[in-house]
Amino acid sequence: MWLAVSPGLLAQFTLAGLMMGVLYALMALGITFIYGVMKTINWAMGEFYMIGSFVQYLIVSHLLGPDLWWLALPATAASVFVLGMLVQRLLLRPMFVGGVERRDEYATVITIALLLLLRSLAAVINGPYQHTPGSHLPDVTLGPLSVPGAEVAAAVVGVLVLGLFFLLLHRTWPGLALRAAAQNRIGVQTAGVDLLRLDMVAFGIGVSLAAVAGGLLAPVYLVYPTNGAVATTKGFEIIVIGGLGSIWGALVGGLLLGLAEALGSALIAPAYQNAYGFLLLILLLLIRPIGLFGERARVV
Amino acid sequence: MSGAHLAIRELSAGYQPGIDVVREVTLDLPPGRVTAVVGPNGAGKSTLLKTVFGFLRPRAGQVTLDGRPIHSLGPHRIKGLGVGYVPQGLNLFPQLTVEENLRMGGWTLRRDGRRLRARLDQVYDLFPALRQHRRRPAHELSGGQARMLATAREVVPEPRLLLVDEPTAGLSPALSGQVYEFLATVRRALGTSLLLVDQQIQEALEIADHVVLMDLGRVRAQGPRAEMHLARVRALIQRCLEGVDG
Repeated sequence: MWLAVSPGLLAQFTLAGLMMGVLYALMALGITFIYGVMKTINWAMGEFYMIGSFVQYLIVSHLLGPDLWWLALPATAASVFVLGMLVQRLLLRPMFVGGVERRDEYATVITIALLLLLRSLAAVINGPYQHTPGSHLPDVTLGPLSVPGAEVAAAVVGVLVLGLFFLLLHRTWPGLALRAAAQNRIGVQTAGVDLLRLDMVAFGIGVSLAAVAGGLLAPVYLVYPTNGAVATTKGFEIIVIGGLGSIWGALVGGLLLGLAEALGSALIAPAYQNAYGFLLLILLLLIRPIGLFGERARVV
Repeated sequence: MSGAHLAIRELSAGYQPGIDVVREVTLDLPPGRVTAVVGPNGAGKSTLLKTVFGFLRPRAGQVTLDGRPIHSLGPHRIKGLGVGYVPQGLNLFPQLTVEENLRMGGWTLRRDGRRLRARLDQVYDLFPALRQHRRRPAHELSGGQARMLATAREVVPEPRLLLVDEPTAGLSPALSGQVYEFLATVRRALGTSLLLVDQQIQEALEIADHVVLMDLGRVRAQGPRAEMHLARVRALIQRCLEGVDG
């Protein structure tokens, strides 16, 4: 079972794992961000990943062409951001007005229904076909390593998007309000923030992170109606590894999952790639059940 | 900046349909005055504040601020009119720094950076201990410092009316005294009107100009502090607890 791996190949797998980890982190970040602000777990996150991959595919294939894939990405993010805000406004917001008891649980159940709805709709509209927007990016040589250009581009843009996200959170007023809302929802209202609108923006940002991951991975994996299922699973794996509600947990968890899968594939067997993440998760649950960056309720 | 005139007319509100916790309450808060609302547990005091701030929609009645109806507005709009609300417990953002907490307090001033900076400087002058901790997360503050920050946060936008709910609940006598010092400082510095609810009757009465006694959602008695002195208020509350009407 164990493979003899050269140091060069090991480095290549490590790099590939880290690159994939960045994209996993985007997905997990969206989940943890929405949960942090709204206290609602969005089980339909993978479907927004799927929609992102479809939008990217449609724009690249029918409008811009593979060379201008980077121009399609902001359009993908923006369209899914608007869609997310609409979904939040029409389906989730009614739970947050009028003093609905156990509204977080109800909202979570609605996201499960939304998952089924979006996946079924995509299957009906798209049929059993699989697509790829294609990529003209050449392989990138890093020392002894050769990495597919689309993967490198996805990882680099993923890092940029993460940077933008952190800038938004730490350098803008909406970012300050979003961080504050994650800690004290009554507090932001007494400060004068329109919490219902903030929830809408948070949901839009969260799902657009998933859409960006879907758009970036569209040329790497195929685009089809159920391609979000694996992304959802990995997103939640990362949340458990990193700690629910922790931004840093999502980042580090994403990188660790990417590494675990890549190194497991290199050192043991690539056939069990998806199992290595679960092994990591089980190990972590035994050692630190609240996740790497999870915290018990912290009060002043 | 001067205090605001709050008028409450025949206000009824509750959490469940058909069950009013606040019943036909009528009150007048003149500008710049401190009104203390006292009464036994379950009197509807906190619910009254939540309704005035827009957390709860009234079932009937009116609330006006300087003549403008506010009873159908949400909390963010009421805040924008110069009303602050200090709920029970510490209303802070524990992982934000002291400065970030204060900036959140100035949310309604966010489009006027110069004014916000000036307000922050004034608040640091008012509560100097916060200046040296400005880069520390709020959860690292001592109990007294945290209370100071919670009060200071509400002061940033220069509220014309401050609704304060049980500011000393669960605090030691020393901390309770500090909290009332903070409130007195705010009133002196800004001329803010205060609508104050507290179980610590003695301390509430010391700062109040006007005292309102509530029981079972209704106003049972009210008057200036000279009339509603400590002994009388205690006697009235005792009568409420014994179920004696009037």
